[in-house]
Amino acid sequence: MRALVTMVGNDFRQRLRDKTVLIFSLLVPLALMGVLSLTFGRLGNDSVELQPATVVAASEDNGQLGSILLDSLDSLETMDVSIHRVPAEEVSPETRNGGAALGIMIPEDFTTAVTSGEETTIRLIEGNGSPLETSVLISVVTGIVDQFSAGSVTAIAGRIAGLSPEQAAETGRTSAAGPPQLALAEGFAPAEQLSLRASLVAGQTGLFLLFTVGFGVLGLLTEREQGTLARIRSTTAPSWTVVTAKAVVGFLLGVVASAVLLTSGSFLFGVNFGSPLIVALLVTGVSAAATSLTFIVARLVRTAEQANVAQSILAMVLGIAGGAFFPIQSSGFMAAIMDLNPVGAFIRGLGISAGGGGIAEIGAPLAVMWGFAVVCTLASRFLPDRGAAA
Amino acid sequence: MEREPAPPLTGTALTARNLVKRFGDLTAVDDVSFQIRPGETYGLLGPNGAGKTTIISMVAGLFPPDSGSVDVTDIRMGPSSLGAKRHIGLVPQELAIYPDLTAEENLNFFGRLQGLRRKDLKSRVALVLDLLGLGERAREQTKKYSGGMKRRLNIGVGLLHRPLLLILDEPTVGVDPQSRNSILEAVAQLSTEGTAVLYTTHYMEEAERLCDRIAILDQGKVQAEGTRDELITLTGGVDRINLIGTGRMVAAAESLRTVPGVQQVSGGGLSGLTLTVTDGPALLASIITNAATAGMAVTSVELTRPDLESVFLHLTGKALRD
Repeated sequence: MRALVTMVGNDFRQRLRDKTVLIFSLLVPLALMGVLSLTFGRLGNDSVELQPATVVAASEDNGQLGSILLDSLDSLETMDVSIHRVPAEEVSPETRNGGAALGIMIPEDFTTAVTSGEETTIRLIEGNGSPLETSVLISVVTGIVDQFSAGSVTAIAGRIAGLSPEQAAETGRTSAAGPPQLALAEGFAPAEQLSLRASLVAGQTGLFLLFTVGFGVLGLLTEREQGTLARIRSTTAPSWTVVTAKAVVGFLLGVVASAVLLTSGSFLFGVNFGSPLIVALLVTGVSAAATSLTFIVARLVRTAEQANVAQSILAMVLGIAGGAFFPIQSSGFMAAIMDLNPVGAFIRGLGISAGGGGIAEIGAPLAVMWGFAVVCTLASRFLPDRGAAA
Repeated sequence: MEREPAPPLTGTALTARNLVKRFGDLTAVDDVSFQIRPGETYGLLGPNGAGKTTIISMVAGLFPPDSGSVDVTDIRMGPSSLGAKRHIGLVPQELAIYPDLTAEENLNFFGRLQGLRRKDLKSRVALVLDLLGLGERAREQTKKYSGGMKRRLNIGVGLLHRPLLLILDEPTVGVDPQSRNSILEAVAQLSTEGTAVLYTTHYMEEAERLCDRIAILDQGKVQAEGTRDELITLTGGVDRINLIGTGRMVAAAESLRTVPGVQQVSGGGLSGLTLTVTDGPALLASIITNAATAGMAVTSVELTRPDLESVFLHLTGKALRD
């Protein structure tokens, strides 16, 4: 154990001193995140600034609902709407030629028809200039009309139930224009989807983690080349401590670098990955998976230079396939294979965590990452050590 | 050098028995046996590729022999023989030190791996730094050191924990003459203090100067073993004559082989001819005359009395540095 601690401490001292880890594991990804933040700064912001819009309206309704509908549009909080009232025959030309977002024509018997359960029609005319604002206004009108329709249905139901026409109409009005009986509140669900910004932070963290852990086990090859490995093996340090020390160093570097990147990325991009405990479990899992991959690389290559190239290729393949730069969609067998990618599992896990998921919900991504770690570690035991044979 | 003497040993410091190591079709070490006593310096002399480093690797427990055995004192050596490894100090041919660490940090690291504890480690590090003449630059990263300083530190790491057996693999390769001399003096001093030393080299002069006994290696086999004087007698006391010149070298070689007293003639290319003869001074005139008669224009003659180079030439038919 003393030898293990000595070797881990020695490796950390060297890694910190040569600054390579600092540059490639923290500064480069942070700089990349900064550049991407500037480039995609407005994307995934969850808010869009709507432009002021004009609604050309003609209301011939002699009841209250027509006015309620127009007042609702006029008082929208998300958008500055001006109601321009014109005669019915001018709505269409005024909308098309005057730059309005929407034209609306409310018929004369609108309120009566709604409250008595009779059929009636509101005509909408789309303007030319502002498709986004037009769509929003149509959605708002549709929502209000749906509520009016609910009132109409209520009125019909009241009459069928034997209410007097006055009582049925009053019930219909209440249903159409009264306060809602149900309220919606915005919340989070443990979904696997991250916002674009959060995906960027998670993906870059997963990608650079694969580079960072390489400073651990792959350091064995450097030691072999500079002769210090032979010297260590001639000492009283048990042979298992040599590889274990490198693995511990790679793993810890991966955990620390990932934690720093997720934290600083969260501040840079203004995203939240949820419970720190859940994030810590995910970081631990993906670091273990990435470290195990370096065991395979260390076996298959002969020199430190070859190891760096192989590790870079694997990092890019796993990173891109896992969604480090953009989400990758696949189906069938390929989807099953892609699901085994630890970087993908890491990003999915962070999505679940960001959506409020707990330990139970991240079980599958964790299983993928730790399963990957176990399989790679075992597989490396059966691979020929080409570096030692060189 | 202030150094605690190694614990006295009654038997041998190292016993290598019938070592064999193969790499694929190549037999790198073929049935090699030798022993080293405490305080003795034992040399493995041979050209590059003779199997010296492979023998050292097995002695240091870096990998096991395919057959045969290595015992350090009476403990069997192998990759997991930590008890045996406690008694050895390895100085690899490469500079096996960390360039980003200071000399002090390098010594501390390897000292801990050899089981030295805090107080003992501190005093040993200070002692070795002083011995190596690196005390003033002990806290400087070794990548800033000169080649000679790195070599000295490389050796210092090997002797930090007072090993009973110090294994030096070509420690003077690429070293300037001054550092080389100080390394050889240090090794000689260690030997007088009781440390057994296994020393590989392809420099004949180093083997002659340092080693109590020498094994001459070629193609993985021990060609001969003994003290310098014992090995010299193997040549029959022959001298060596190098003839440099131009003209009909092959014809001259043929002619010289017929001269009484000439035992062997090698070479024949641009580098000239090398002859082993029984009495060089007496035969010199006759040899030059014969060479000239055969068509060789001799431009330079060198007469060398018997040494390990001659022994190697005698045993293998080729020069040590071929």
